Amino acid sequence: MIRNRLITGLAAVAALGMGLAGCGTEGTSNNTASNTATSSNEVVNITYMHRLPDKAGMTLVNDIVAEWNKANPNIQVTATKFDGKASEMIKKLETDVKAGTAPDLAQVGYAELPEVFTKGLLQDVSAEASKYQSHFAAGPYSLMQVDGKTFGLPQDTGPLVYFYNKAEFEKLGITVPKTQSELIETAKKAAAAGKYIMSYQPDEAGNMISGLAGASGGWYTVKDNAWVVNTETAGSKAVADVYQQLIDAKAVTTNPRWDTSFDATLQDGSLIGTVAAAWEAPLFLDSSGGTGAGQWQVTQLGDWFGNSGKTSPDGGSGVAVLQTSKHPAEAMKFLDWFNTQVEGLVSQGLVVAATTEDAKTPKDWADFFGGQDIMAEFKTANGNMGDFTYMPGFSAVAAAMNTTAAKAADGSGKVSDIFSEAQKTSVETLKNLNLSVAQ
Amino acid sequence: MAPFAILFAFVFILPIGWAVYSSFFRQIAEGGGAYGGGKLVNKFVGLQNFQYAITSADFWTGVGHVLVYTVIQVPVMIIAALALAMVVDSFVVKHVTGFRLGYFLPYAIPGVVASIIWVYLYNGQISPIVKGLAAIGINVDFFADNVVLLSMANITTWTFTGYNMLIFLAALQAIPHDLYEAARIDGANGWQIAMKIKLPNVRGAALLAMLLSIVGTIQLFNEPQIMATADPGISKSYTPMMMALNTSQGTLTPSGDGPASAIAIVMALIAGVLAMLYTLAERKVNE
Repeated sequence: MIRNRLITGLAAVAALGMGLAGCGTEGTSNNTASNTATSSNEVVNITYMHRLPDKAGMTLVNDIVAEWNKANPNIQVTATKFDGKASEMIKKLETDVKAGTAPDLAQVGYAELPEVFTKGLLQDVSAEASKYQSHFAAGPYSLMQVDGKTFGLPQDTGPLVYFYNKAEFEKLGITVPKTQSELIETAKKAAAAGKYIMSYQPDEAGNMISGLAGASGGWYTVKDNAWVVNTETAGSKAVADVYQQLIDAKAVTTNPRWDTSFDATLQDGSLIGTVAAAWEAPLFLDSSGGTGAGQWQVTQLGDWFGNSGKTSPDGGSGVAVLQTSKHPAEAMKFLDWFNTQVEGLVSQGLVVAATTEDAKTPKDWADFFGGQDIMAEFKTANGNMGDFTYMPGFSAVAAAMNTTAAKAADGSGKVSDIFSEAQKTSVETLKNLNLSVAQ
Repeated sequence: MAPFAILFAFVFILPIGWAVYSSFFRQIAEGGGAYGGGKLVNKFVGLQNFQYAITSADFWTGVGHVLVYTVIQVPVMIIAALALAMVVDSFVVKHVTGFRLGYFLPYAIPGVVASIIWVYLYNGQISPIVKGLAAIGINVDFFADNVVLLSMANITTWTFTGYNMLIFLAALQAIPHDLYEAARIDGANGWQIAMKIKLPNVRGAALLAMLLSIVGTIQLFNEPQIMATADPGISKSYTPMMMALNTSQGTLTPSGDGPASAIAIVMALIAGVLAMLYTLAERKVNE
C-alpha cells in the first residue's frame, strides 16, 4: 500500500516537473495562408496575435480589423488575443514558429525584440518598413530595429512622466521639484506631513529603473560585433543616489506597483506623486479607485537624475513580422494601417507611436487628470526620449533587478546593488546565449 | 488495458521521455557576432545542463528553502491534524459531521485562491491581522526575509490540516470499539485510551500522511509564486519548481527547455531519494 503510494507520489513529482518542460507543442492552426504566389484577385490571409486589453468600452481589435477586411477583400486579417504574459507569448511563438503554425504578425515588446530576433523568430522587412517610416515617431521606429534591420512597425510608447496630485501639492505648499536637491527636500517635507511624492517600485525596477538610468545614456552597445555592457553608468549612479536618499529618509513609498498595497496608498491619499510610464494612465485610474479624481496632473520629469530631465521608454510594443510569414508585404500593408488607427488604439489605452494624427485624450482620462490634455503631454515626453538599446535576453536581467530592488526596499541591500546585479546578469546571459561579450 | 496503456503512454511516458531527451540540449547562437546571426540552434550538450543544475548556488538555495519548509511545516500540520482528529473522534464532541466539514472546508479552496486571500491578510496596508496586532503593540512583517517562509507554511497548513485530519479520522473510526470497552473495564481513563490505544492504531495513517505531505511540500510552488507579487524579493528561483518554470520562460539564465528539464529531473530524483529514505526508515521502525 505504502509502496504504491510512494510510486504515485514520485510520479506526481516527476510529472509536475516534466509537464513544465514538455508542454508547448499545441498550436493554433489559424495560418491558412496559401503558399502560392498571389495574383491580384487571390485572397491573402493574414493572422495577427496581440496582447491588447480589449476590455468593454474600448474599440475592440476585431472591430478595427473588420473595418480593414471590409475595405480590402484581397487581404483578409484574423486577429487573435493572447491571454497571458509577454514571456508566455514568446514561448508560444517560439514553438509555433518551429511547428510552422505561427501567425504572420505578433505583438513584441521593444525590450524583447532583440531576444526574439536572436531566437530566430523574425523576418527582415526593412524594405517594406521604410515605405511607412514617415508615419511613425523616429525613436519607437528605431526600437523595431535590430542590427540595422527592421522587423515590423511600432505601436505604442511608454515614455516616463510624472503623475502628481495638484490639489494636495497646493495644500502642502509645494510645487513639482525642478532639481535633484529640490526633489529630495520636497519629498522630505511631504513625508513629514504623511504624504509621499515619489514611489520606489521594486517589481518595476527592471523597466522603470533601467528606463530612468537609460535616459542619461545606454547600457548596451555593440562594438566590433561584440557586446559592451556597462550598466553602472553615471545615469545609473544618479538614479541609485536619489532613490537611496529617499529610502533612507523614509520619504518614498516602497510598495510593489502591481500589489494591492500600492493601490491602497493611492486610495488613502498618502501617495500624491509618482514617476509613471505613459501607458499607466488608464491603469492608474483603476488603481486609485477614484481618489483624487480631477486633481491629478501629468507633467515632464524634472532634472532629477543629472540629465536635464530627459526621459526614456518604459515598456511599449511594436508588431513584428514572424519568420514563417508567407506574405510579409501584405502583412506590412495591413500593419501600417492598423498601427495608424489612432482613435481605436487610444481607446485600448495606448500612447500611439503613429504621428499621422494627434491623439485625442479620452474623456474619462481627462476627467481624472483635471481636464488636462494628457496626450499632448505624452507627445512632448515622446520627443524628449533618449534611445535605449536592449540586449537579447533582457528579461533575465530585468527579473534579477527586481529581486535586488526588493532588498533595497526593506533595507537589507542598497539601490546601487540593482546596477551591479544587472551588470553581472547581463554578461552571464549573453555568454549563456553564446554571444560575444567585449571584456 | 489498451485505453489505459494509450493514456499512460501519452500523458506519462511521453512527457517524461521528452523531458529527459531535451535535458541534453541547450539553445545557443552559433552565428557569432552580437546577435548570433538571428538564429538559435538546439545543440547537444551532453550532461552540461545537469552540471549546471547541480552546481548552481540558486538551485541549492531553492532546495534549502523547500527542506526548511518541509521540516517545519509537515510536523506542525500532522500533529495538528492528529489532535483535531482525536478531539472529533472523542466522546467530548457532538455533531461530528459539522466539525468534520468545517475543518475540511479550506481544502475545497484551490491553493492559488487560498494564497491570494492570505496575501491580502499579510499585507501591511490593508490586513486586519497586521493592523490588529499593531494596535496591541506587536509589529509584524509577514514578508520579511526570515518570516516569509513561515507565512507560506501557514497557508499550506491552513489548507491541508483538515484534509489530513480526515485521513486520521477514518483510521480512528476503524478501531474496534470493543478495545475501548475492555480498556475502560480495566480502569483506563479517556486520556489513557487516546495515548495507548488510538495513537498506536493510527500510526499507519500518520506515516502515509507524512509521506504525501513531504512529496507535496518538495513541489512548493503556488504560495511563493503568488506571494512574489506582493514581495518581489521572492526570487524567480525561490523554489526548484519556480526555477524550472522561469528557466523555461527565459527570466533566468541559462534559459530554455533543456536547463529547465534538467532542473526538474534533478528535483524529481531528490524527491524520490527522500521518499525512499523515509519509507526505509519507516520500515525499520515497524520491525
